[in-house]
Amino acid sequence: MSVHGPIVRRGGAWLPVLAVSSLSGAAVALALPTVLGRAVDAIVTGSDSGRWLALTALLITAGIIADLVDTLAGTVCVASTTAWLRRRVLGHLLDLPPVSSARFDTGDLVSRVSGTAPQAAQSGLSLVTVFAAIAPPVGSLVLLTLIDWWLAVAFLAGLAAIALVLRTYTRRTTQVVADYQRVQGELAGRLSEALAGARTIAAAGTTAAERDRVLRPLPELHRHGRLTWRVLAGTGAKAAVVGPMVLMGVLAAGGIALSRHRISTGDLFAAGQYAMQGAGLGGLTGVLGGLARARAGVRRMDEVLTEDVMPYGQAVLPAGPGRLELRDVSVEAGGRRVLDGVDLDLPGGASVAVVGRSAAGKSTLAAVAARLRDPDAGSVLLDGTALEQLDRESLRSAVGCAFERPVLVGATVADAIGLGRGDGFARRAAEATYAHDWVSRLPEGYATPLDSAPMSGGEAQRLGLARAWGARRLLVLDDAMSSVDTATEALIRRALTRDHSGRTRLIVTHRASTAAGSDLVVWLDGGRVRGVAEHSDLWLDPDYRAVFTSEEDPR
Amino acid sequence: MKREIVYGLRSLRPRPLTMFALWSLPEALPAALSGVAVARAVDEGFLAGRPLVGLAWLASVMVAAGIGALGARGVYRRLGDLVEPFRDDLVTLTVEGALSRAVRGEGDDGALARLTHQSEIVRDTYAGLLVLTRGFCVTTIGAVVGLASVSPLVLAWTLPPFALGLGLFLATLGLAARRQREYVRSDEELSTTVTRVLGGARDLAAGGARPWALDLAGRAVDAQARAERSLAGVAVLRTLCFAVGGWLPLIALLAAGPWLVSRGVTAGAILGGLTYVLIGLQPALGSLVQGLGGSGLRFVVTLGRILDTAATPPPPPQPAAGRALGHLSVCGLTFAYGPRAAPALDGLDLDLPAGSHLAVVGPSGIGKSTFAGLCAGLLEPGAGTVTIDGHGPDSPELRVLIPQEAYVFTGTVAENLSYLRPGASAGELDRAAQAVGAAALVARLGGHDTVIRPADLSAGERQLLALTRAYLSPAPVAILDEATCHLDPAAEERAETAFAARGGTLIVVAHRISSARRAGSVLVLDGTSAVHGDHTTMPERSPMYRELLGHWEAAAQIQPAS
Repeated sequence: MSVHGPIVRRGGAWLPVLAVSSLSGAAVALALPTVLGRAVDAIVTGSDSGRWLALTALLITAGIIADLVDTLAGTVCVASTTAWLRRRVLGHLLDLPPVSSARFDTGDLVSRVSGTAPQAAQSGLSLVTVFAAIAPPVGSLVLLTLIDWWLAVAFLAGLAAIALVLRTYTRRTTQVVADYQRVQGELAGRLSEALAGARTIAAAGTTAAERDRVLRPLPELHRHGRLTWRVLAGTGAKAAVVGPMVLMGVLAAGGIALSRHRISTGDLFAAGQYAMQGAGLGGLTGVLGGLARARAGVRRMDEVLTEDVMPYGQAVLPAGPGRLELRDVSVEAGGRRVLDGVDLDLPGGASVAVVGRSAAGKSTLAAVAARLRDPDAGSVLLDGTALEQLDRESLRSAVGCAFERPVLVGATVADAIGLGRGDGFARRAAEATYAHDWVSRLPEGYATPLDSAPMSGGEAQRLGLARAWGARRLLVLDDAMSSVDTATEALIRRALTRDHSGRTRLIVTHRASTAAGSDLVVWLDGGRVRGVAEHSDLWLDPDYRAVFTSEEDPR
Repeated sequence: MKREIVYGLRSLRPRPLTMFALWSLPEALPAALSGVAVARAVDEGFLAGRPLVGLAWLASVMVAAGIGALGARGVYRRLGDLVEPFRDDLVTLTVEGALSRAVRGEGDDGALARLTHQSEIVRDTYAGLLVLTRGFCVTTIGAVVGLASVSPLVLAWTLPPFALGLGLFLATLGLAARRQREYVRSDEELSTTVTRVLGGARDLAAGGARPWALDLAGRAVDAQARAERSLAGVAVLRTLCFAVGGWLPLIALLAAGPWLVSRGVTAGAILGGLTYVLIGLQPALGSLVQGLGGSGLRFVVTLGRILDTAATPPPPPQPAAGRALGHLSVCGLTFAYGPRAAPALDGLDLDLPAGSHLAVVGPSGIGKSTFAGLCAGLLEPGAGTVTIDGHGPDSPELRVLIPQEAYVFTGTVAENLSYLRPGASAGELDRAAQAVGAAALVARLGGHDTVIRPADLSAGERQLLALTRAYLSPAPVAILDEATCHLDPAAEERAETAFAARGGTLIVVAHRISSARRAGSVLVLDGTSAVHGDHTTMPERSPMYRELLGHWEAAAQIQPAS
């Protein structure tokens, strides 16, 4: 189902208004030269010019009104359709499965919402625009032929010349522009390196040297830049010849017709005007390009809008301790079984560590447990209810997840933790996760804008953890403290083990100390469960110990 | 708006500008001649039964067009002379601004966009405006001269309404620029918000924050739509101004037609007058309205953003007199990140005689990097002082800082290593690399003259290069701010030992507690207080140190020896 239909319907009452106004604008443009020609004839012959004059004034006024309506209605129509489309796409994107073999990267999606949506929103309007834009030049050509068919011949010959000139321009420019952009890219690369090394540069006081280093390709950029103008100069010169050529050709043909009394002075005048309007045919490519862009925009919107969303059920989570069951859960990604028939039954209220070598399926297990993706086979149950049967609100308030690389969203630190749950929540969660003292030292405490709070990986993880702290039944930590320093991690771990809110904690970790502090350890190996037991029992197995030696040192 | 216009005008080099204007004269010829030629072609040629005379007049326009084409070629060539130096200035300004903000520690996401995207917009619109303004002047002057030569009476009827429309349009530009700026701002705001929300889609879903996020993004969407609608108002004003300046002269001329004929103005003259209005004044005003309203506003707004972020480069540092020893003295040092923030450091006193080796330990986010930044003169203390051999923060040659994210730039290995000791010999580079443990890396890279790209190196390799560079620096105080965090413990020890033996004072912000064991003294930061002492007595004096030590040892026990 394409979003084209809804977009056109969104245009609603505006589109007919726009159609009427642009078509009447086109009609005025076509009628005006003839009426002006009659007025000239009337003035020259001294006959009653008042009638023609009044008509001229009327037409011009009508043209101006049509123009005003076009401008106003066009903008309002596109603006409100764009806003509607953006909201719709954003809503859809937020409904997609949060973790999947992502078809779209974020930059691409952002460009669709910010750049493509306005283009797609034009798809109703651009149809109207195309008709309105085709009418004057085509009509001009017809009217030229009606005045005298030689005029049309002269006109078409001139147009062919213009087309030829424009073609050579595009070809030559492409190469020159490519060279220019290459040097520009080099400059940008140098600047971005220097910006990344700002602290070193600042401490060494070498800003001036860096400026020179970054700007070293500038003379080359200058050289390529000049070339672009030279290409333009050649084309500009040709355009300056062929432009008047069309008009003068038509006037010459018209002049001869005038001298043979086939047409009047006013006709000659009108012919000149039609020749100029007819030259607007060249501008048609632009209008058609607009239509093509709108169509392409709609396609790009459709690509996103046809992606399947994550469905939610109606069930409400029954009371329970937070017992987590995985029944024969398998997940495939990139043609590989990431989880392979995993069966687990984890007691409610326990702290459970998940360990394993890289690519053992730990993060996928975390994602499945927090329903950030659905397994390809098998089911996940929380207190006896399958996760996909729970309604969204019930699921998300019961289950929370903290990540190794949390993405913080919101204007301020408080927003980033609270996600709309209020500043009180943010502060309580930060206190519970020992982030409060550090947040208090930020320039404006909890109100510090995220932009102006440069954060290390460990600091971001601490906010990510606080953010997930509200989970009532199951808290999943996907390697969420890997960059937190040892002392803070110990404090948080203590908070996790002494957590008396009775929720289950599933902790993906690389650290033996974390596994040692948990009630139970799930040992994954190649997507399968290798063992579920206490750390001290598993420790007897050299393979289990090898899981930790392969990782970096624990600090 | 005034600042941007003044900047644009000041950047015009007089010589190329003169050439630009001179080449415009032949270009004006066809516009000036066309009306007269048409009038004569009709009056003396086609209507007088001498079509050849008529054709000759029209041909004269083509000759004029040929001369005009030469003019056009000259004009565009001179355009490069005017625009390219202007673009060079912009790029320089952008780079200087971005660097000086970055070294002040101010985040700046837009620097690269300004350098590539925005400076190009300004370059193109600047050229566009030059062509446009010149075209307007040339066509208008041509048409006015032409009108006057056809008949001064015709000119008197057409010029005043044209001038009125032009004046009205110019008066709306201020409002238009404000709305346009608001529009651009709302557009950027939108894409920042959307980037955040979509980038965090996984996290938002996990937090059950869909409605909140949709509302957040929806507000930005609506603000953008509002800004876009408010542009429509400006466009309506523009259309009205064009109606006055472009159409009113025509109506005036037609209305006065019978009167003009009664005053002896010929049919050809009225036709010529109409021609000048319709192919001269009206299109000139039309493209001016379109151009200034479009690219003109983009020029003002975009240039404004570049100028806003421009900064004067800092004066080159003055070398401190006397022999550098590296006696670092910290006195009553207090620092908070904002007026409402709890201080990260509060009244810290510390005296490190030349040759000291200090390790700074404490949990993440406690202010260790802040301390390093203050010692390196990157941050300005709220109170208190840091001096090296009695010199304040303006003597960067007295200290060298290696931050966690090592700075390596695209260039040869030698350029990177000798960054802080320009002109260092190959032997010096090799000895330094050998000392910090980077010799094998340098050899693997292919020697001093290999061009390296930071993206091709691992974080640890970048750190080794940065360490070698710092080792070579003549600065007596070296500050390693977790500068070895991507190295393994053995490599870290080698680098730290090399720096300790280098002479001068060494400060190590410790990533591992082992760094503290090697140091002569330890500074423990725990958020509320700072304790300074040596490694052996520290466990008794600082509970925080005890805890850190405990975690390290506990982890080491659980961890089988590797």
